[in-house]
Amino acid sequence: MRSCPPRVVFTWACALAVLLWAATAPALAQVKLSFDKRPSMKAGNLLTAGIRFKAQVDFRDFPDEPETPSKPVVDLPRTRIGVEGRLMREFDYQIEGELSDASQPWRDIFIQTRSFRLLQVRAGQFKIPFSLEQLTSGMDLDFNYRSLAASFLAPGRDVGLMVFGRAVNETLRYQAGVFKHGGDNVRESERTDAQADRTYAGRLVVRPWNTYDNLFRTFSAGVAFTTGVLPAGPNGVRGKTIPGDTFFQQLFVNGNRRRIGGEFQWRPGPVQLQGEYIETRDQRFGQGIENQDLPNAYARGWYASGVWLLTGGQMRDSIAPDRPFLRGGIGAIEIGVRRERLAAWSPGVNDGSFSSPRAPWVMPRADDVWTAGVNWFWNPFVKLQANVIHERRTEDGRVLVSQGNLWSQVFRVQLGF
Amino acid sequence: MRSRTRPALIATVLLAAFCLVAGRPLVAQTQIDSLLDGNSLEDLWVHLNARDWEDLHTHFQENTYYPADVEWRGVRVRNAAIRVRGVTSRNGHKPSFRLDFNRYVTGQTFFGLDALTLDSSWQDPSMITNRLAMLLFRQMGIAAPRVAHVRLFAGAEREYVGVYAVTEEVVESFLRDRFGEDTGYLYEFNHLENDNWGFQDPGPRLGWYVPRFSPKTHEFESVANLYMPIRDLVQRINDAPQSDLESRLGGYLDVNAFITQLAIQNFVAQSDGLVGGVGANNFYLYRFAGKNLFVLIPWDQGNAFTASDLPPSYNMNTNVLALKIWNDPKYRAQYLATLLQIADLVSTDSWLLTEAQRDYQQIRDAVYADAFAPYSLTQFEEMHATVQQFIRTRPDIVRQYIAAMQ
Repeated sequence: MRSCPPRVVFTWACALAVLLWAATAPALAQVKLSFDKRPSMKAGNLLTAGIRFKAQVDFRDFPDEPETPSKPVVDLPRTRIGVEGRLMREFDYQIEGELSDASQPWRDIFIQTRSFRLLQVRAGQFKIPFSLEQLTSGMDLDFNYRSLAASFLAPGRDVGLMVFGRAVNETLRYQAGVFKHGGDNVRESERTDAQADRTYAGRLVVRPWNTYDNLFRTFSAGVAFTTGVLPAGPNGVRGKTIPGDTFFQQLFVNGNRRRIGGEFQWRPGPVQLQGEYIETRDQRFGQGIENQDLPNAYARGWYASGVWLLTGGQMRDSIAPDRPFLRGGIGAIEIGVRRERLAAWSPGVNDGSFSSPRAPWVMPRADDVWTAGVNWFWNPFVKLQANVIHERRTEDGRVLVSQGNLWSQVFRVQLGF
Repeated sequence: MRSRTRPALIATVLLAAFCLVAGRPLVAQTQIDSLLDGNSLEDLWVHLNARDWEDLHTHFQENTYYPADVEWRGVRVRNAAIRVRGVTSRNGHKPSFRLDFNRYVTGQTFFGLDALTLDSSWQDPSMITNRLAMLLFRQMGIAAPRVAHVRLFAGAEREYVGVYAVTEEVVESFLRDRFGEDTGYLYEFNHLENDNWGFQDPGPRLGWYVPRFSPKTHEFESVANLYMPIRDLVQRINDAPQSDLESRLGGYLDVNAFITQLAIQNFVAQSDGLVGGVGANNFYLYRFAGKNLFVLIPWDQGNAFTASDLPPSYNMNTNVLALKIWNDPKYRAQYLATLLQIADLVSTDSWLLTEAQRDYQQIRDAVYADAFAPYSLTQFEEMHATVQQFIRTRPDIVRQYIAAMQ
């Protein structure tokens, strides 16, 4: 088993914080505490620190499916606590841990420069820059769950170094980085037993009408890629259904993993339209039953969603109602719908060996999903989300037995500051 | 003329079509019979990636499945899965394997079988004791797996990796073949270290049963559905008066079949069975669909055929039901009569001895060429001599014990 990178990063971050704290003791005399949006502390120009807390409780009703374990009705997808702030005016930092994950509790642990908007540097553990929805905080999602593509094909977090910046009046945004492994979304065990080696990633987003005052000012479109070394083993991308059951086999792979992605987002007034396309390609050198090379394995996912803020106002990343619930208003309400698909396959000739993780030809499997939801923002801290989800799973174009019409309902209570 | 031949032609075509469809399982059955009947030493070729073969040996403690194709007599079944199996016999030198044919393809079988085990006979230098014991079970009318021997080849280069005992696994295909149904509840009994459990009532807590009885069907049903019937059975066994087991357990357990199994295991001196030295072990439990009736299915009788002087009463006090049978004159008489019946069966035409000698001749050269055999050739020869001597002497020893008791 390899070393535990998040703990190493956390140790170094703590050591740095203690050093800074000790070296600037006089400034501590100017410490101010505040409880505006969240508990915060400011020590002159030296340090700011705000406590962050995120909690979600889900009440779920998933369909009964044969040969799958029943799921608990109540689920706690996030219970996180963290600190974020600024160091010596020059650096932003963030430390966040998941309380319900005893084995690998650390999530984001990074420090980044902030002086030059054109060229900033971030180091530590954070999300590899790929996929708009994966990079969106779990507290700001329009639906209970991220799309299957963003959940399983985007790489997720890893330890690395990234440069990023904004140029041409923020018309252009870029991110480029190198990461120790391939991200923790590929396998659940990735955090403790990495299955992919060094990975490079880049993302470019343009907002061509950013400087214009017209309907398209908020339109953005982007592309992204990752490329990384893939050691031999059952390390293919994973795919799961909405209830969380394995949907396609993790194939044996060896060689290189390449991801490409495209995204767009447009927020004309109270409406948001958003979509993404993600494709992964894994090489499978020497992975056949007879040690032969196999055709590449592919996974592809996309989604398109539309959200409408019924109570009006401009759509933003985080909705903060003008008139909070129980304080003279009803809060903010938005409705949305999303259509998505996740599919995996390997091209080749159907020789009958399509079902094992070393099969030359992997029969295409796809999960087509519709999600409709309503979000009720009581205030900046409390959000209720209800989703109805319909799945239709197919293999080689044919609907799988008893999997053509599956309904799930999820109700979420979210608290965060 | 035309009108007279046409119906005959149609009838012929329909008959041919019927035979083709209806005959398929029969063909598969006949073919698998020739693998499992033990009449010849068959070759089995497991095609798998070289890295997986290495992993199966280096990570033998894990139950990870690897994809494999299985070839026998030129027929290659694709998309099978292989993993290491066993408890105390697990090893990385010559591991035993489980072949699962419907792990990746729902409903796929290997000539009608859902799964096979490849037993390296790690604890039995003769490699034949399990097969002989299972033969005896089946001769006595007990549903027991078939066992035969194969020369196993592995990998793209078809490397010879030794002699293995191929065993029909107790799964749905076994249930269909023996009981004509596969929708009941099947459990594998897991013997826990230092447990020494012999059907004693552990109390009402269902959680006690969970680690000991692994469901092999209906795996995802609730604990209550899976384990309440077993708890009821155990409580009934403990509550039933020893003089009236049949009526009190009727509908829950076939007491006569249980007595037969006890007698067979005592006859072959199985030291790790229902009344083994460490409590009950090596059995499956099957509850028939829609009924409370259970049946015990024997498994892995590899620790037999050594202690030829074992008395009929051996370890009967370690099992609640066995003790009740032994203590009641009527059931004890039935148990002893069954032992005599087995002794006569084994003696008749030296039937079991002939099987042992034939098995020895069948596998001898292959064992001599087995570079992975976990024991020396001397041990192999000595154990065969022991087994054959056991079969020669055991019937009379049993008869003498019983005569002395009467």
